[in-house]
Amino acid sequence: MIALSVAAVLAVFILYTSVAGAGTPQLQPSDLATHRQGDVMLVGRVVGAPTGDAHAAGGLHFVLKDAKGRNNAARVPVRYAGTVPDLFRAGREVVVEGSLRDGTFVAKPGTLSTKCPSKYAPAKKST
Amino acid sequence: MAALGRAALLLSFGLVVYALVAGSLAAWKRRRRLALSAQNALLAAFATTAVAVVVLWIALARHDFSFVYVADHTSRTLPLGYRLAGLWSGQEGSLLLWLLILTGYSALAVWLNRRTRDLVVWAVPVLAGVASFFVVMLCFISSPFATAPAPADGAGMVPSLQNPYMLAHPPLLYLGYVGLTIPFAFAMGALLSRRTDERWIVVTRRWTLAAWTFLGVGQLLGSHWAYVEIGWGGYYSWDPVENAALMPWLAATAFLHSVMIQEKRGMLKVWNMVLVALAFCLSIFGTFLTRSGVINSIHSFSQSPLGSWFLGFIVICVVFSVVLIYLRLPLLRTKTKLESLVSREATFLYNNLLLVALCLTILWGVMYPLLTEAVRGETRSVSKPYYNFFLHSFGLPLLLLMGIGPLVAWRRASLRALGKTFLVPALAALVTGSTLIALGYGSSTPGLLTYTFGAFVAASIGLEFVRGTRARHALSGGSWPGALVELVGRNRRRYGGYLVHAAILMLAIGIAGSSAYQTVRERGLHPGQSMEIAGYTLTYLRLEQRQEANAIATRAVVDVSRGGSHVTTLDPGKNTYPVEQQVSNEVSIYHDPRNVGDLFTIADQIDPKSQVLFLKVLVKPLVNLIWAAGFLFVFGALVAMWPDAVEQRKLAERYAANAVAA
Repeated sequence: MIALSVAAVLAVFILYTSVAGAGTPQLQPSDLATHRQGDVMLVGRVVGAPTGDAHAAGGLHFVLKDAKGRNNAARVPVRYAGTVPDLFRAGREVVVEGSLRDGTFVAKPGTLSTKCPSKYAPAKKST
Repeated sequence: MAALGRAALLLSFGLVVYALVAGSLAAWKRRRRLALSAQNALLAAFATTAVAVVVLWIALARHDFSFVYVADHTSRTLPLGYRLAGLWSGQEGSLLLWLLILTGYSALAVWLNRRTRDLVVWAVPVLAGVASFFVVMLCFISSPFATAPAPADGAGMVPSLQNPYMLAHPPLLYLGYVGLTIPFAFAMGALLSRRTDERWIVVTRRWTLAAWTFLGVGQLLGSHWAYVEIGWGGYYSWDPVENAALMPWLAATAFLHSVMIQEKRGMLKVWNMVLVALAFCLSIFGTFLTRSGVINSIHSFSQSPLGSWFLGFIVICVVFSVVLIYLRLPLLRTKTKLESLVSREATFLYNNLLLVALCLTILWGVMYPLLTEAVRGETRSVSKPYYNFFLHSFGLPLLLLMGIGPLVAWRRASLRALGKTFLVPALAALVTGSTLIALGYGSSTPGLLTYTFGAFVAASIGLEFVRGTRARHALSGGSWPGALVELVGRNRRRYGGYLVHAAILMLAIGIAGSSAYQTVRERGLHPGQSMEIAGYTLTYLRLEQRQEANAIATRAVVDVSRGGSHVTTLDPGKNTYPVEQQVSNEVSIYHDPRNVGDLFTIADQIDPKSQVLFLKVLVKPLVNLIWAAGFLFVFGALVAMWPDAVEQRKLAERYAANAVAA
């Protein structure tokens, strides 16, 4: 009986992972060049001042680099529309979901989030 | 001052290590006096840790910036309340608070149970072992009493933390996390002393219940904080740090239910041991998640060397529990078996499987980035759809079980009797379901199912109260309300449990209403323009700016009307903090008494030059049920926890009888 119930629970789980696939890759800008097509979560640090308007036709434009310094040269331009978090600005680490199209990372609307400067870290350490 | 703090912590270190070593030796060699001495050491460790906490609090209150910790987490302008909250706004202070709560709980648990000698004797070294880990961290790895030449002013506290929730949310979570150590220690103590009857469960029932309540309320407060302050219109986002608290809560929920089977029928002994160990290890894992920065979270924490220490400690805890349970398996065999798949026991079992399944799928989701990184070399993560899928597939049956369980008889239920008891709840569900479909609520299947199952559960809980009150009234006469109070008072565990069920039901309905049936609309507006949403008309009137104590507040004045008549005026906007160079969203919410829901407005973007406002509006029906559920949850838990002299006497008699029989 118990075995049967456990099997049922496992079946639901396996069913999900086989139908819905196995998660979204998390990449840094330097990984993006080698990555195949499809949606990814891009994690990076904002370089330079963002331009444009996230609520206008052209969208918001900004550039991301690796947040953890494996490769400091890689830069990816991002185009984004939708809600911009309060903490978004140059120097912040952000996560955005989307895919690379012709050299520009086109984000899905409303997927931009910043990592908050931390609940616990002292303010002086937040960049 | 710092020297005093350091000295106090060193004393704590000596005391808990002594309690660990002497306590183990005393239990091993059955030395009564040594065991007492170990218990006293644990009590004394609470006193020395309290001294350390007081030292840090005084330093925080007096702006003693020679303490690195004080300088890093507070500033001269910070109000006293937040300065004291500085104790848990940083890592070292949080660890110290953890140790204080742990030694405090341990001292109280040991003192309250000093008569159940055989259990306490072994619980002491387990408690001391856990405390040793934290005190080693505090003394040698991450000291709150490090000093440096004092700067003129401290770094201050992140503005978003300067909020009354900061005073309650973290300490409540800690009270919950740490509280799970007590049942764990007594369970392991029972295994070590080979006393594998249900005594340890009886001794720790209220501890588990209290820890579980703190953890639940702490999470709910955190959700409310996020809802009204962060301003994205939600209250839970399946973030690893949120999940960190949810997982041990789910495991503890399963444990609270399955121990009843052991108490009543002597079954599930191994399972209960596994659950209590799981809940404890998950509470440590939760701390590890929030401290190590190993998993990407929207709460990014300071990366610290503590991660690997915690990982090591988790491994020790898991190995210790698994090995101990394995060694004692022969003692944990049960004589009674499940008699029928349709019985109270069986519904408890289904409930447990679903809760643990939900807990483990969340754990899998949280660990997924680490696992894929290790196996495939590429970090992949799962998000909302993954969690929602499992919440629906495991949570909805759980909800339904909450209505079925209390109606099914112990041991073996006859199908005919079941048909009779289920008639009213099933009818209630049927009527609710079909009415809702007719009204167009079929747009969301999970939402519709939640409401329908909810009607079933509500009817089932209501029936229990009606039946019980009627019986009590027939027995003792008097007034009806008097009979109800007497009923609850005489069966606190049972009816307290039902009240908690009712709270969980409200929570489920609130979540379904505010997520499955919410309406979201966003638009750019010029002054004078309006937008429509779910029957409301919102008109953007003008922009206002004012100077506040430490921020410049920009507010959009928005008139809200319905059917041509004015309802309220909202003022979503943004605060700009020049010193901290931060902007924060200030949402404006109208609580609508008609649907217990909220009209939630966010000024997504404000252009001060053109005065254009980009307004995001959410209509979230029933969302206030979630917060109301919190009050009922605490009330129900208190009823279930309240000391009961009759119950104590019965237990005492039972153990006296057992002792004679043995």
